[in-house]
Amino acid sequence: MSTDLSAALARLRDALAAVRLDLELPGAGQARRVRDDLVAQVDDYLLPRLRQMDAPVLMVVGGSTGAGKSTLVNSLVGSEVSPAGVLRPTTRAPVLACHPDDLRWFEDQRVLPGLARTTGGTPDAGTLHLVPTSALPEGLALLDSPDIDSVLAENRALANQLLAAADAWLFVTTAARYADAVPWEFLHAARDRGTSLSVVLNRVPADADREVPAHLQEMLRERGLTGVDLLVVAESALADGRIPEGPLAPVRRWLDTLAADAEARAGLIRRTLRGAVASLPARAGAVERAAVEQLATAGELRSDVDAAYAEAVREVDAALRSGSLLRGEVLARWHEVVGTGDFMRAIESRVGVVRDRLRSLLTNSPSAEHELQVAVENRVEAVIRAAGEHAAERAARVWRERPSGHALLAEAPELERASPRLTAATEDEVRNWQTFVFDLVRREGAERRMAARVASLGVNGAGLAVMLAVFAHTGGLTGAEVVVAGGTSAVGQRLLEAILGDQAVRTLATRAREDLVERVERLLREDAARFEARLDAMAPDAEAYAELRAATDAVRRAS
Amino acid sequence: MSGGLDARLAALGEAASLAEGRLDPAVVADAKAVTAKAGARLGLGLESTVVALAGPTGAGKSQLFNALTGTELAAVGRRRPTTSIAQAATWGDGADPLLDWLEIPRRHRLDAAELDGLVLLDLPDFDSVEAAHRLEVDRVVALADLVVWVVDPQKYADAALHDRYLRPLASHAAAMALVLNQSDLLLAPEVATWRRDAERLLAEDGLRDVPLVVLSARTGDGLPDLRRLLAARVAAREAALTRLAADVDAAARALGSSCEGSARGVQRDDRARLVASLEDAAGVPAVVRAVDAAHRRRGALATGWPFVRWLRRLRPDPLRRFRLPETPQPNVRTSLPPATDVQHAQVATATRRLADRASDGLAPPWPTLVRAAATATERETADRLDRAVAGADLQTRAPLWWKAANALQRLLALAVAAGAVWLLGLAVLGYLRVDDVVPVPEFRDIPIPTWLLVGGAVAGIALAVLARIVNGFGARRRARAAGSSLRKRVDEVAQELVVAPVEAELDAHSRLCAAVATAAGDRKGLSSMLRR
Repeated sequence: MSTDLSAALARLRDALAAVRLDLELPGAGQARRVRDDLVAQVDDYLLPRLRQMDAPVLMVVGGSTGAGKSTLVNSLVGSEVSPAGVLRPTTRAPVLACHPDDLRWFEDQRVLPGLARTTGGTPDAGTLHLVPTSALPEGLALLDSPDIDSVLAENRALANQLLAAADAWLFVTTAARYADAVPWEFLHAARDRGTSLSVVLNRVPADADREVPAHLQEMLRERGLTGVDLLVVAESALADGRIPEGPLAPVRRWLDTLAADAEARAGLIRRTLRGAVASLPARAGAVERAAVEQLATAGELRSDVDAAYAEAVREVDAALRSGSLLRGEVLARWHEVVGTGDFMRAIESRVGVVRDRLRSLLTNSPSAEHELQVAVENRVEAVIRAAGEHAAERAARVWRERPSGHALLAEAPELERASPRLTAATEDEVRNWQTFVFDLVRREGAERRMAARVASLGVNGAGLAVMLAVFAHTGGLTGAEVVVAGGTSAVGQRLLEAILGDQAVRTLATRAREDLVERVERLLREDAARFEARLDAMAPDAEAYAELRAATDAVRRAS
Repeated sequence: MSGGLDARLAALGEAASLAEGRLDPAVVADAKAVTAKAGARLGLGLESTVVALAGPTGAGKSQLFNALTGTELAAVGRRRPTTSIAQAATWGDGADPLLDWLEIPRRHRLDAAELDGLVLLDLPDFDSVEAAHRLEVDRVVALADLVVWVVDPQKYADAALHDRYLRPLASHAAAMALVLNQSDLLLAPEVATWRRDAERLLAEDGLRDVPLVVLSARTGDGLPDLRRLLAARVAAREAALTRLAADVDAAARALGSSCEGSARGVQRDDRARLVASLEDAAGVPAVVRAVDAAHRRRGALATGWPFVRWLRRLRPDPLRRFRLPETPQPNVRTSLPPATDVQHAQVATATRRLADRASDGLAPPWPTLVRAAATATERETADRLDRAVAGADLQTRAPLWWKAANALQRLLALAVAAGAVWLLGLAVLGYLRVDDVVPVPEFRDIPIPTWLLVGGAVAGIALAVLARIVNGFGARRRARAAGSSLRKRVDEVAQELVVAPVEAELDAHSRLCAAVATAAGDRKGLSSMLRR
C-alpha cells in the first residue's frame, strides 16, 4: 500500500508543480501558497516518511521571533546547541538536535533535501546544523526552526519549509504573543495539514498564570484546534541562559513521556501521516478550483485576443473585397503600364490595338510595370499594418477592462502596439505572395489555360493583371467607379474589363486571394501569439489541470 | 514653512488633477486624500500636536499612555489584545475639533504646562487576530502628526511592524519616533545591543533619522527622555507641518513615478507624413485636378470660339460633379468619393507613428496615453476632412478678361456672321446676274465681306487658341492655389485632431512632472526621485 501511496503522492506532487496559477485573480495568491505548501509537504515530509516509517520523530520547534524557541531547546537538551539572545531574529540556521545513534537518519538527504548539512562550529545561514547529543533519547529529534514572523523573509520561508517537514510541531508562543495574527495562521495550517501539535506558552508572568492560559485554550477551541497539549512555562530569570527545571517541568514531562514510549511515538508518526494524507485531496481541490478559474479566465482573455485579431482579418478581407486597393495610385500606375497618356485618352481604341501597344511597352519599359507592382505592394502592406495596429489596440483595450488582463498588460505594455517585426514580416509576406502569383501564372501559362489575350501580356503583365483581379473581382468595382477614382480612360478600363472577364484570370485570382488571406491570417496570428505567450506563461494548461484531477483521485484511492 | 507647504499642496493638487484619468487611480486617490487631509488638518490649527502611540499587542502602549498621563485611564491587562478602542488624553484646551476630526470619542483633559497642546492617542494593536484593530490603527496613523511606535524586546523585529508600516513610511522619518519599551526585562549590556540592533533595522527600513528612546513604562526608567522629546515637538508646533510635508512628499513621489525621461515631441517628418496621408484621404489630388479641369472648361466656354465652344457643355463640370461649392461653405457635404480602406489605413499608420515617436522616451503609461489621445477622434476624421475641402477656397472666380475676350469673340462672331450673310447676298445677286448693280467695297483688292468672314474666323480661332493657352496657365496656377488652400485646411485638421491632442498630452506630462517637482519640495528630492 505504501508504495502505491508513494507513487500516487509523487504523481500528485509533479501535477501540482506543473500547475501555473499566475494570473491575477482574487484568491490566486492563496491558491499559489497552498500549491507550494503541498509540493513542499510531499517532498519534505510525506515521501521521506513513507519510505522510512521507523525513522525518528522529527519534532520542529517553531514560533514567533523572540518567543524563546532556542532557549527552550537549549534548556531541554541541557547545553547550548542553538544560539539564543536578545537580537531578533536570533536563529538564522535551523539546528537539529538528536541522539548520536539517530544522526544517520538526518545526515543524508532523506528529509529536507534542499538544505546542506553542517556539524560543529557555528551554523551558517541557510544550512541545517546537526548537533548529536545524548541528552535526547533515541527516536526523537528536536529541530529549532527560525521564526515565522521576523523581518527576514528567507527566515519565514525556511520556517515554513521546516514546519512542513515535521512529524509534530512544538509551537512556542508567549504571554505577550499569543494573540498575534501571524502565528495563528501557522496554527491553522497545522490543523489543515493534520500535523500533531503541542503548544508551549512561554514566559507567563505569575499574575497571569490563570487568565492567559485559559484565554489561549479558549482561542484554540474556537479555532477548531482541539486535543492540543498546552504546556505552560512560567516567566523566570534564566539560569546560565536556560530555563530553570521548575518552570520547565511541564515540557520536560511531556517530552520524557514521548521519549519513553516507542508505541506512542509510532502512533504520533502514523497520526500525522494519516492526517496529512487525508488533508491532501481537499487542499489539492482548492488548487484545482483555482486552476479552473484560471483556465476560464485565460480562455476569456484568449477569446478576447482571438476576436480582436479575427476582426483584423475581416478588416483586411473587406479592404481586399471593396476594390479600394485598386483605386488611386494603383489605377494610375495601371494606366502608365497600358500607356494611356493624355493623347491616348482622347482616342477610343479597340482592345487589340492596346494589347499590341501594351506588349511593346512591356518589353520596352519594365519600370512602369515595376511601379505598379510596388504600388500594389504598398497598398496591401498599409492595410495589413493598420489592421495589426487596430487589433493590438482592441485586444489591449478589452484586456485592460479585466483585472487579470490589466496586470498582464502592466508587465508588457508593448502588447498595446503591433509588434515591431510586423512591418518587415508584412513586406516579406506580400512580396512572397507576389512571387506566388507570378509562379502561378507561369505554371498556368505553361498549361495554356489562359486566354491568348491575357497570356500575351507576358508573365509579369499577366501576374499583375491577376493581382488587380484579386482586388477588383468580387468587389463589384463598377466602370463608373473606375472612372471617378482614376480619371481613367476607356482604354485602360476596357482592357481591365477584358482581363477581369477572362475565366482563367478569375480562377487564378480566386486562388491568389485565398493565398493572400492565408498569409494575412498567418501574419496576424503571429502577432496575436505575443498575447498568447503571456497567457501561456501565466495560466495552467488543460492537460496540467486534468493530470492534477487524476493525481488527486489516485491519492484518494491509494490512501 | 506653512507658506511653502501651501505652495507644495497646491502643486500636489494640480498634479493630482492632471493625473486624473491618466495614472493609476489608486495613486491619484491617495494624492487627493493627502490634499484633502492637509486642508482639514491645517484648518484645525497648529496649536495642538497629535501624537499616536502605536505598536504590536503586548508592547505596553497602554502602560506607556498611563505613565505619560500619570493616570490609570488605559486598561492594562494580560489578556491579548487588551485595547480595542483608541482613546485620547489632551493637555490644555481647544483640541475637541481636532479629536472630532480624528473621530476619537473617548477623551480626557489634563493639565501640565510642559506638554500644553499635546493630544496623546492610545491605539489598539496592529498584529493581533483582531483585524478590526489593524484598520483603526491604519486610519489614525494616517492622520496623526507624530507616530510613536512602541515595541518590546520580543517584537521589535516583527515583519508586521517593519514590512507593513515602517518601510512604506520611509519618507516619514521626521514624523515618527521609536520607543523600545520594557527595557527592565533585559540586563544593561543587553539593552545596548538591543538598541544597536533596532537602529540597524531602522536603517534597513530607510529610517536612519528616526529618534529612538529606550525606556520602561513600568519602572519609569527613560520616561523623561520621551517626555522631553514630546515637549520639544509640542512646543515647536511644527509636527503637523512636518507630517503633512512628508505626506505631500510621498504622494508626489508616487505621482512622479512615471516622470523619468522626456518626450521627443512631434517630429516634423511625421507630421508631414500625416498631412500627406490626410490629403490623400481627403481627395485633395482629385479636387486639384477638378479645379484645373473646371477652369479650362469654363475658360473655354467663356473665351472659346463661339461656333464650337458649346460642345464643351456636353461634358459635366468636374467641380459640380463633386458638388464642390463655388464659394467656401464648410457645412455643405461634397460628393467626393469616400476615402478608401487603404487611405484610412495610411492615415491610421501615420497617426500612430507620429504619436509613438512623439512619446518616445517617456515611461509607461504615457506612450499609451499619447497614442490614445492621437487616435481618440479617428472616427471624426472623414467628416472633418470633407468639411475642410468644402470650406477651401477653390479659386473659381472668373477672371475679368474673360468678359472682354468674350465680347471680342462675340464681335468677331458677329463679323463672321455679317460677312457670311453679305457674301450669301452677293451669291444670290450673282445668281441673279445683278451683282454689278451693287458695288462691293474692297480693301486691298479683297472684298470687305470676305475680310469679315475669313478675318473674323481666323481672329476668333486665334483668340480662342491664345485664350486656351492663357487659361492653361491660369488653370495650373489656380490648381496650385487651390491645392495650397486645401493643404492648409487639411493641415489644420491634422493639427486639431492629432497634433494638438498629442501635444496636449505631452504638455500634461511636463506640467504634471513640474508640479510633482514643486510638490516634492526641493530639487534634491526631485533628482533623487528621478534617479530611482
